[in-house]
Amino acid sequence: MSGVYAGRALKQSISSVARCSRPQYLRLRAQRPAFKPMVRSFTASTRISEKKYTEDHEWIELSSDGKTGTIGISTYAAAALGDVVFVELPTLDLTVAKGDSMGAVESVKSASDIMTPVSGKIVEANSVLEDTPGTINKSPEGDGWLAKIELSDVKELEGLLDGEGYRKFTEEAEGH
Amino acid sequence: MIIRHQLCKAARPRLSEPVQSYISTSRDPYLNLSIEHHLLQKSPPESAILFLYVNRPSIIIGRNQNPWLEVDLSLTTYCQGLLSPKSGIFWHIDLVRRRSGGGTVFHDEGNVNWTVICPSAEFTRDKHAEMVVRALRGCGVERSRVNERHDIVLDQGERKANSDPEDTHATPYTDVSAFAARPLKVSGSAYKLSRGRALHHGTALLSSPNLKFISQCLRSPAKPYITARGVESVSSPVTNINLTNERFITAIQSQFSAMYGSTQAIQVDEDLLSIPDIETGYDELQSSEWTYNQTPQFTLSNSSESTRLVNIDLTARHGVITEASITPLAETPAETPLADTPMLELSALNERFTGMTLLDLSNWAGGRLSSPQDALYMEDEVVHVVEWLQKMLPMVRGSL
Repeated sequence: MSGVYAGRALKQSISSVARCSRPQYLRLRAQRPAFKPMVRSFTASTRISEKKYTEDHEWIELSSDGKTGTIGISTYAAAALGDVVFVELPTLDLTVAKGDSMGAVESVKSASDIMTPVSGKIVEANSVLEDTPGTINKSPEGDGWLAKIELSDVKELEGLLDGEGYRKFTEEAEGH
Repeated sequence: MIIRHQLCKAARPRLSEPVQSYISTSRDPYLNLSIEHHLLQKSPPESAILFLYVNRPSIIIGRNQNPWLEVDLSLTTYCQGLLSPKSGIFWHIDLVRRRSGGGTVFHDEGNVNWTVICPSAEFTRDKHAEMVVRALRGCGVERSRVNERHDIVLDQGERKANSDPEDTHATPYTDVSAFAARPLKVSGSAYKLSRGRALHHGTALLSSPNLKFISQCLRSPAKPYITARGVESVSSPVTNINLTNERFITAIQSQFSAMYGSTQAIQVDEDLLSIPDIETGYDELQSSEWTYNQTPQFTLSNSSESTRLVNIDLTARHGVITEASITPLAETPAETPLADTPMLELSALNERFTGMTLLDLSNWAGGRLSSPQDALYMEDEVVHVVEWLQKMLPMVRGSL
């Protein structure tokens, strides 16, 4: 997801926790530690099925069959984008190359392209998002997944960021 | 020949520069939006770009909007009386689906469009609206401010305590009380985010003679009957800023330079169609696939209309009817055909409509109505359906 304009906007909202309403505070607090468990589970032996991230804020997780991956946008990106009101899903059997646009989301007057982290063929799109696009905000790295892809080259995953690397990347982007 | 060649070259975007400023002399909305998209896609990751352009009368819908819901399409074709401040009367308005999000806006020659492209990491939704407010205030428009929807409004309240002149979100005329005169919108924002780059563009209503017409055009007769996915516009009362285009353009260019560094504005025009990307984008924006078939799924239903003679329910996805349910309110005996030609019966419509594009459907309905011969061979109820569809999905010029 390339359009995370809002590194700064998110930082602002977190630093203004003291001023925001209680529901807002709870939501922000719920968002914040989302990365932490992932970091804890990160062990020295990198497993191939581990969730990977791109600098465009997409994630991909390989399923147990070792061939299909689930793609979505990161918790960080979903919070930065704000309320998602429409999702343009990729069509089935669409063949995409790593970095191609495979869909788009709209939030707060912004159309943001979603780029595929790997090359392959789209085998499923999350049709839940057609009627309830807000699922992306509620559960960006769970029920709000976008599509499943049959990878043409599993090795492409090796070039992506792991959870720890992505966390560092977003912190740097915010100028910590 | 040599001189012409040099001119063309100078008029090409200087994409490698860290700070770039362009102004288009074309009034073609499809071209200007394609140039803008090219700048977004091809400029280096860290560059900052200003692009200014003015379009001939056109209605610009957001990427995920429904034109039948947002626009009275019959008016876009028959718009007698629409004024152009420079060239007299216009007879046609272009309907354009842009690539950014947000709602529907109207452009004419009394409106200057401004675009800023920058790295998404440095971007907020207010940043460049604030830049435009600084430019407006520099021109003496002291009632201007950025509102909570990232748009620019002119406050209409009485002058009260002085506000911080640096605060682009409040003016001495800001009045939040319930009885205050509502601020009037003069600029609407929309965004496109792609591959680490952020595009923010907005309108600036400076001196449009068509304000009344705008609200007519943006009121669709089909609105009560459409249920749509996607993005619906939030309508706001608008007004003119009352500045000349030239004064606004100069003020914006100098505010942009103050933010990003000074640069010479480059004039661009139709010559840029020689760049293959721009030409491809130009063709795509004018295609009915993009303008109409990109529409998110919706249903058109007359179930709320008490005077209906027939139940009409259509579902369209990507501009194609996926489900049609046209049923009589009550059973009526079949009419006898006047001649050997088979009568078009209501029961045949479902099959006929399913799989049809909405454009084909509206052309079909329009064609039926304009031929009295055809009307003889339609059941009364079919005529009713055709008339209703013609009203809800009017024929659109230029897309046939």
